[in-house]
Amino acid sequence: MVQLLAPDGSLVPSERAEEFIPYFEQLTDDNIKRFYRDMSVMRRFDTEATNLQRQGQLALWIPSHGQEGAQVGSAHAVRPQDHIFPAYREHAVAMIRGVDVFDIIRLVRGLTHGGWNPNDPKFRNFHIYTLVIGSQSLHATGYAMGIKFDGAYATGNYETDQAVIVYFGDGATSQGDVHEAMVFAASQQTPQVFFVQNNHWAISVPVSVQSRVPLYRRADGYGMPGVQIDGNDVFASYAVTAKLMDEARQGQGPAMVEAHTYRIGAHTSSDDPTKYREDSEVESWVARDPILRLEAYLRGKGVEQAFFDEVAQEGADFSSDIRRRIVAVENPDPASMFAHVYSDPHPLMEEQAAWLASYEAAFPTDAPATAVDGGDA
Amino acid sequence: MTVSKFYLPDVGEGLTEAEIVSWKVQVGDTVDINQVLVEIETAKSLVELPSPYAGKVQELLVSEGKTVDVGTPIITIASEGDGQLTSPTPTLAQAAMANEVFVTDVSETVGTKDLIEEAPRDNLVGYGVAGHGVTRRRRGHAKAAQATYAANTDSSGSRRPVRSPLADAVPVLAKPPIRKLAKDLDVDLSTVTGTGIGGEISRDDVIRHAEQASVFRNIVTPEAPVEREERIPVKGVRKAIATAMVESAFKAPHVSIFVDVDATRTMDYVKRLKASPDFAGVKVSPLLVMAKAIIWAVRRNPTVNSSWTDTEIIVRNYVNLGVAAATPRGLIVPNVKEAQTMSLLELAKALEELTTNARDGRTQPSDMQGGTITITNIGVFGVDTGTPILNPGEVGIVALGAIRQKPWVVDGEIRPAWVTTVGASFDHRVVDGDVASRFLADLASVMEEPALLLD
Amino acid sequence: MGLGKAINEGLRRALAEDPKVLLIGEDIGTLGGVFRVTEGLKDQFGGDRVIDSPLAESGIVGSAIGLAMRGYRPVCEIQFDGFIYPAFDQITSQLAKITNRHEGHMSFPVVIRVPYGGHIGAVEHHQESNEAYFAHTPGLRVVSPSNPHDAYWMIQEAIASNDPVMFFEPKSRYWPKGDVDTEHNATPLHSSRTIRPGTDVTLLGHGAMVSVLLQAAELAAEEGTSAEVIDLRSISPIDYAPILESVRKTGRLVIGQEAPGNLSLGSEIAATVAERAFYSLSAPVLRVSGFDVPFPPAKLETLFLPDADRILDAVDRVLSY
Repeated sequence: MVQLLAPDGSLVPSERAEEFIPYFEQLTDDNIKRFYRDMSVMRRFDTEATNLQRQGQLALWIPSHGQEGAQVGSAHAVRPQDHIFPAYREHAVAMIRGVDVFDIIRLVRGLTHGGWNPNDPKFRNFHIYTLVIGSQSLHATGYAMGIKFDGAYATGNYETDQAVIVYFGDGATSQGDVHEAMVFAASQQTPQVFFVQNNHWAISVPVSVQSRVPLYRRADGYGMPGVQIDGNDVFASYAVTAKLMDEARQGQGPAMVEAHTYRIGAHTSSDDPTKYREDSEVESWVARDPILRLEAYLRGKGVEQAFFDEVAQEGADFSSDIRRRIVAVENPDPASMFAHVYSDPHPLMEEQAAWLASYEAAFPTDAPATAVDGGDA
Repeated sequence: MTVSKFYLPDVGEGLTEAEIVSWKVQVGDTVDINQVLVEIETAKSLVELPSPYAGKVQELLVSEGKTVDVGTPIITIASEGDGQLTSPTPTLAQAAMANEVFVTDVSETVGTKDLIEEAPRDNLVGYGVAGHGVTRRRRGHAKAAQATYAANTDSSGSRRPVRSPLADAVPVLAKPPIRKLAKDLDVDLSTVTGTGIGGEISRDDVIRHAEQASVFRNIVTPEAPVEREERIPVKGVRKAIATAMVESAFKAPHVSIFVDVDATRTMDYVKRLKASPDFAGVKVSPLLVMAKAIIWAVRRNPTVNSSWTDTEIIVRNYVNLGVAAATPRGLIVPNVKEAQTMSLLELAKALEELTTNARDGRTQPSDMQGGTITITNIGVFGVDTGTPILNPGEVGIVALGAIRQKPWVVDGEIRPAWVTTVGASFDHRVVDGDVASRFLADLASVMEEPALLLD
Repeated sequence: MGLGKAINEGLRRALAEDPKVLLIGEDIGTLGGVFRVTEGLKDQFGGDRVIDSPLAESGIVGSAIGLAMRGYRPVCEIQFDGFIYPAFDQITSQLAKITNRHEGHMSFPVVIRVPYGGHIGAVEHHQESNEAYFAHTPGLRVVSPSNPHDAYWMIQEAIASNDPVMFFEPKSRYWPKGDVDTEHNATPLHSSRTIRPGTDVTLLGHGAMVSVLLQAAELAAEEGTSAEVIDLRSISPIDYAPILESVRKTGRLVIGQEAPGNLSLGSEIAATVAERAFYSLSAPVLRVSGFDVPFPPAKLETLFLPDADRILDAVDRVLSY
């Protein structure tokens, strides 16, 4: 297992970490403080979103609590020209890529199935969430095949050569689509990294039910390198992802990263983990928290309390802003149901949209605008 | 000061209720946003609810241990002006107000709205218990209903003017049941004028047409002749008819009696016979039922089936049923021999053969001899009834008139029924009023209730 | 040329005219496809444009989605109708919904070619008609050519469409030859077309059923019944205009389909025609379908599949009203 940052905050590279140290050494102090800030703000955001769900504002929330290390490290390792295919828990990656995480809130509030445009340069190729487990792995492979056919990789230019990273969990590794994605990736030798966030639980099913071998060893079966990392070690996550992505973009073919981490929270807010796992297990992982260890590291490097206070405040502000925006958000326009089902004009869409509009128009209009009308929660 | 209510949310994608397990705050406590207020238990798990508001706890609305529906207010929190959120923003007051309507039934704040019961609750996934379509949304105007109808009727999906829901332009606009009725009544729909919307043909249109058809069918008005007179020699059939009529009319004292009867059941029966595979291809009409009725009534009133000679009245115990048939050469009365031995199907076939032969001019003289009682079907001409003249040698003749929809009183109510007049003339030398009446009444009874023939 | 060759020519033309067009499927490259529909294309355009994929239908469709995101216009081949089910999730949960999920920010011009239908005496899973599952799924377009000329043009139009198109190829019609006008095409992709005029009854079907309907119409003519035959061509969306016009004229509609009748395409058309041409109908709309059983062993397929006799039986019924 690759580890650079131990749970107590000390820098203790494991043997396996050897080849990745050069990438770690590229990080500046500001980079590392940035890691801390990103993880911390996202942790605070995650708590706020959980509360909002408990207050009836969201249908559900999908917590990323505990997985910040794996997400923030890898997100910073991916280059701007790369494409990212998330599952549905990679909120930190989204934020780092430029996505307004309020759009994730909109998704779980029932306002959209998407939320942002992956083609918009602002979001730097961060694709929308896919809720069917593992499906996105095939899309990522197909995309990477496209990069290959375009010849947009392996030219030796790290600033322009593209690669694809796809995220999924330990549960997804059992899905046929994930297997097929790796088969196709290996067959075509795509510029692609499969990033498995092994958070040890697929709702209530432990990873031992998914696999009898550590997940990174599956890569070997496809003929691609597989690297296991301490997923709560943001340095390892950064360094390993960066190296594997660069190798992929240089034409060395696909690879897999298995990030050993833990889902501290529930699968989603509808889940109750106390029904299937031990508090002691959770506590043992809390002790290996990614943020705490980085804080310890930074303090050890002499970073002042003011920095941590600032970050905490930033987290609080970030969260209140989300809260404020939720109360103002509007329900989707009924016509939007028909607007994007097809790219080309379609007779049924026109017919049914017109029907619904005239049907709705037949009812008396609402009372003069109140908070209910415009911002109907 | 704003008082905000916190309504129990659906925390688990479709839950409908939860139990208040334990309050973590008391009345009077000051709380911050996200501070844990209460622990609840749902079908899925134990959940802590964080406060959406900052302020002072005013009232705990549900006691511990009680289970309440999603959407029930559980706590009120009073807050001072702007001091709501930790980060002051100008939209605070609005936020507080809006919070109040988030997880609630709309009736709290907008009681005048029609949409109350139907308004989707803002509990997102899972709508709790209330709001299950108590009443229907009231439409603004009927036009919309037409518009939706039209939108579905026209394949291009464009809106059509309100009045006509009928997008097809076809010669005959009639719904399948009406088509069937027309078929049963032998009405050609293309000759019927529809009085419904857009020219749609209604049931009444068909019936009216059926009644009219019986009067106006086969009428072709010929051109006026050029000559002032036409002289037709009296000979052949015409001479024979004249002779017979004179002999009958002036020899036998005729008395005619009539009765109106509700023949609906006969009409139904005829319809069923038509649909029966046994009668496929065989002409079935009310005449057939009347023929059978005569045979039955004759058994009960034998003297109507007899002949007068000056010395004796010959009562016949067989029925050679004569049927007055209009032919191009004039009226003839062939008869069905031994009609009393025939089954319904045999009788139907015999009657059909008889009329076909008559129309084709193939009737033999022997067919016209030996008749014992006659029936004349003037109903086919649309005529209600008449005073038929006896076929010479017989003492009874029955006139079957047109069967029409007329008002009829049933159980004190006026209802449409298929009504016909059954008429008959008798030779008063043989048949007195009581026999005549009983015979006629028997015929009418059968027309009213064909099942009597099961006797 | 046969329908298979017509598609081959259509694919060839599409590959030549747009460098973004790619073919992906099992055995389509070197072998040229088990029905030879992609014969010669790899030689002409190379293995990066005519791709032999691993044996994984879900993989084929899923990676095609990724390729479409990258700006390609992938044409997938599912080797046989009965093998489409492993890809069902990628088709219905992903491909069908992904344009909508992206709120219109991306298009997914993916074509999925599916040889389908019976009449070839094959073993299980090789003769199904499962168009209805996909016609029922919003977000997909579904078409089926009945003859070589339509096949040549419709495959190109399907590729040019910016939406996912399921292209159902009646495999029993791959070999019989027909004329193809490679210069002119009169009928757009999603139009139905009257191919034989008549006055007494309308016969409607798609794919291989069309030739059965034409046979039935010939036989009916000998008996004095004038049957109008309509080739549906587009299963989703359905072009009702010619169908309604015909029913308004004849008053009688018989729909033929190889698929099992319960909850079928024919059921939908019957309901819609009854709704929109109610006053024109002299008889109920009849469907002549496969039985509601799994496609039987080949020795029984002629009993299972509607033939001209079964169509004429329905014609007799509608005429009896």
